[in-house]
Amino acid sequence: MKRTLPFIIILVVLAVALGSAWYLTRTIPASPTLGSQSPQSSLPPGSQGSPVAQQQKPPVVQGVPGADPPHVLGPADAPIKIEEFGDFECPPCGIFHPILEQMKAEFGDKLQITFREFPLVPTHQHALPAASAAEAAGLQGKFWEMHDLIYEHQGDWKKEFDVRPIFEGYAKQIGLDVERYKRDMNGDLVAQRIFADGKRGHSLGVKGTPTVFMNGREVPFENLPAEKLRVVIQNELRSSGR
Amino acid sequence: MKKLYVVAALLSLVGLADALYLTIEHVTGQSVRCTIISGCSAVLSSPYAVVAGIPLAAVGAAAYFTVFSLAILTLFGYPRAATLVRAMVITMFAISVWLMYLQAFVIREFCQYCLLSALITTALLVVTMIARHAR
Repeated sequence: MKRTLPFIIILVVLAVALGSAWYLTRTIPASPTLGSQSPQSSLPPGSQGSPVAQQQKPPVVQGVPGADPPHVLGPADAPIKIEEFGDFECPPCGIFHPILEQMKAEFGDKLQITFREFPLVPTHQHALPAASAAEAAGLQGKFWEMHDLIYEHQGDWKKEFDVRPIFEGYAKQIGLDVERYKRDMNGDLVAQRIFADGKRGHSLGVKGTPTVFMNGREVPFENLPAEKLRVVIQNELRSSGR
Repeated sequence: MKKLYVVAALLSLVGLADALYLTIEHVTGQSVRCTIISGCSAVLSSPYAVVAGIPLAAVGAAAYFTVFSLAILTLFGYPRAATLVRAMVITMFAISVWLMYLQAFVIREFCQYCLLSALITTALLVVTMIARHAR
């Protein structure tokens, strides 16, 4: 028995390790991007041809309210309401930004887009200043202009030590009252809005970014590349009869 | 000395769990979304995360399993296993140093789970070296 005992222990550990790996890979839905592909190639057409993930429709979720009023683009009676939880420093969010722009151009008034702040602090050191900059611009009615600039230049400011002067440059560029913007950046209202969006995200079970809800149902991450999101939107339009 | 190999076996079990988790993250592609631990997203999606088509995390899991097996065999009186444990751990430590260098200076992002693995490998090196001199 003593001779075989070590091998029994080793085999038990091997079985437990392989069993748990098998179980976990089955329960976590596989994304279309595997292996050494960079995040930059993870959302765009790289996964063309692979079918839209046919999963059971997730339940409609309500959650607690986020910042009020939310940042919304598109008509209130649009049949497709998309709510994105984003982090300005997150590379996949930066990749998702032009995809959503493309969907807006393709579907026009059928689409309503809401952006919710979900800065991943402390993972992304500039995520909070970026969210604050966008919210401060929002207090002067220019949230989307700042949102677009921050995303479009993600690669420019991400590696900088201090991003505030860069965002101030954007504030000037879009014609904000910069002194007010600087006050608002550190003000309670901006902090409260970010906190409220975060609270909403947590209540909806958001764990990472980008997390996208369409008409209250979460869109699986693997369906976010343009060619798949298009099909998901078309299917939703069809099922709503519009 | 036996106690030290029990410690080594337990450490390698923690390392195995850590490396398995990273392998699953890698294989399922969850690492491409940003999460609270998203340093791993940059590291796991870098070209250094794969060797000859095999995720490095899976190689790490196999290495920890080997160290665990050899530590158990040492405990049960297989003397050659102790030499193999040391050789394995020294190799793993050297690879860990290289991976730390890559994270710090090339990828410029740290993945907490990779850091934990480096810590476990360092602890394994210390334990096996003490065990050698304790004979």
